[in-house]
Amino acid sequence: MSADAGTGRAPPGNRDWLLALALLAAASVAGFVLDPYVSLTSQAMLYVLAVVIASYRLPRVLSIGSAFAAVIAFNFFFVPPRWTFEVASREHLLTLGTMLVVAVVINHLAASLRRETATARLNERRAHHLQQLASHLAAATAPAAILVGAQQALDAAFPGPCVVAVLDERGELVLDDAASALRDGMLCCMREAAVLGPGTGRWPGLAAWYLPLGEKGAINGVACIQNVMAADNGGREHAQALCTATAQALLRLKLTGAMQSAREEAQRQHLQSTFLAAISHDLRTPLAAIVGAASALQTQRDKLGVAQQERLLASIASEANYLSTLTENTLQLVRLGSSGELQRDWESIEEVVGAVLGRVRRRDPARRIRSSVPAGLPLIRADPVLLAQLLENLLDNALKYSDQAIDLAVALAGGELRVCVKDRGPGIPEAQQQEIFEPYRRNDRSGQRGAGLGLALCKAIAIAHGGALTLRRRDAGGSSFRLALPVDPQQPARGPQ
Amino acid sequence: MSLRVLVVEDDREIRSLMQSSLAVEGFEVQTAVSVSEAKALLQHLTPDVLLLDLGLPDGDGIDLVREVRKRHTLPILVVSARHQEAQKIALLDAGADDYLTKPFSVAELLARIRVALRHRGTALAPASTVHDVGDLRVDLNLRLVQVQGTRVHLTPTEYKLLARLVRSAGRVVTHRQLLTDVWGPDFNAHTHYLRLYMGQLRAKIEADPAEPRHLLTEAGVGYRLAAD
Repeated sequence: MSADAGTGRAPPGNRDWLLALALLAAASVAGFVLDPYVSLTSQAMLYVLAVVIASYRLPRVLSIGSAFAAVIAFNFFFVPPRWTFEVASREHLLTLGTMLVVAVVINHLAASLRRETATARLNERRAHHLQQLASHLAAATAPAAILVGAQQALDAAFPGPCVVAVLDERGELVLDDAASALRDGMLCCMREAAVLGPGTGRWPGLAAWYLPLGEKGAINGVACIQNVMAADNGGREHAQALCTATAQALLRLKLTGAMQSAREEAQRQHLQSTFLAAISHDLRTPLAAIVGAASALQTQRDKLGVAQQERLLASIASEANYLSTLTENTLQLVRLGSSGELQRDWESIEEVVGAVLGRVRRRDPARRIRSSVPAGLPLIRADPVLLAQLLENLLDNALKYSDQAIDLAVALAGGELRVCVKDRGPGIPEAQQQEIFEPYRRNDRSGQRGAGLGLALCKAIAIAHGGALTLRRRDAGGSSFRLALPVDPQQPARGPQ
Repeated sequence: MSLRVLVVEDDREIRSLMQSSLAVEGFEVQTAVSVSEAKALLQHLTPDVLLLDLGLPDGDGIDLVREVRKRHTLPILVVSARHQEAQKIALLDAGADDYLTKPFSVAELLARIRVALRHRGTALAPASTVHDVGDLRVDLNLRLVQVQGTRVHLTPTEYKLLARLVRSAGRVVTHRQLLTDVWGPDFNAHTHYLRLYMGQLRAKIEADPAEPRHLLTEAGVGYRLAAD
């Protein structure tokens, strides 16, 4: 039986008995008070009134009882001869009979009215539940949220206990241990793709309804409602309506997910092919220079002067170095993209800067890079190799695109570590400031070749560290790249001195 | 008598490049293309230097390093690509002496071999206990550390750290090796100790701690005390 079904057939309680007595007493008292002024018929009407009220308010047994009691009281108190149970005339016998019929008829009408009211209320509540569930489901973006919504709706509608279970990615039913006894029924329900349990004609011997979430072939879960009655057709229909809404939400989520991943896959493939095209383009130019210089040395060495030979050799070495950087950047970018895992450790930014400067100075004979790293900076959790590569790329870029001083400044501000690389090169137009961080874009600023993937990798590394890499155009010309890295407020303990 | 180098490298081009550039410098060069061939060769000859490439077809060479270390003290140089940190560190911890990152120049290769040999050469004589490079002078016998002729006071831990690097001057010392030798084997994962104490040490020894000349960082691997 439903938790919210009507209570019309409940046995009379103490309050009902009291009410019946009170009504009769009131009618009798009123009869005595009005005795000098009214006729016996009016006194009878008072009892009729009491019986009508009792029939409307009280269960059938009590209302019929009230009718009998009213007739007896009327007879005893008012029908002559008074204070006896004798009936003097036939007329009064008719009064008694009429009162009894009135009581039964009114009671019957009132009872059916009550039933209808209760049904209407129940339906209204169920419609409300369904609507609540629908709005909850519409907002749900994960199966867990749908599950919570369905569980709440069932718990509100049925005394239960109710259990809702969905299939996971592997198609296994997710069920906690407490509900594992229901597993067989649930599996059977999914297999048959139909409602099982009392009143359904399938497995009527079960103590619970099992409702599939979905149609045959697309079932995503099962609901089980325990302690139900075979005759509660309305309740079962309501349960089915709730389950259908839940199943639709699950299906919607599944389809959205499939569509999303198909879109992502298409995007990834597009990105990959653009990426490959860009890489091969970037590889071709230095390769052409190397092959050209090497073949010139091979075939024309005798005709070339020493200076020319030196120039060709230098070109081979520098182009090969460029290829090496490009390959390294590509490799790291792919690794970051595929695993996203960092080899993090407590690192000192001073050390990373020192290691980078040690390498970059070979390309900076004029010592244009001016570094400033304050003492006593906190340690950060970082992948030192990637962080070093980020800074090296930024510094190499700055060296390539400007011929003036370059500032490398580290500062602690706002709970983060900021590393700025500022140059006085031509700067990057506002419109291209986002573009240059794309993996296959390059700002062809001075006809020079940049490490095509350098900035894309830098950005990826910054993001993988929970930080950010931003670019700002400097007021007096040039670019300022700022790397912001989060600082863990919980610094590691110092060892013994 | 010329020094013998065994080059274990599976790539033909790099192998022949190493062979010719080392031969030009007066080394007697032997080559192997796999770990097993190297092991077979080592049964019969004892080279003066072993150059071992990472990512050989039949293994990463860690058991080769261990086997060689059981019998010989010859310097082992690991040649690796930049992304092979983990393997490189494992080999260094297993007893390899130093590493070279591909691509490298011939000059770099020769410099590393020179450093490695210098150490081995003096390893037979009483251990070198004086490090005198640029403005830094460390005398382990006298427990003396001087920068530009002025004595520098170090805490006991700072001194132990520096002394450990002096004993391997010019070569990389991994984090694990440093932590084990200075703080003890229980602390070999406490890399933050190194960050903090190296920072202190740099502040005392380096003219510009942010651009060190002596205490060099090998990102993700360890530290190296510059030998020249």
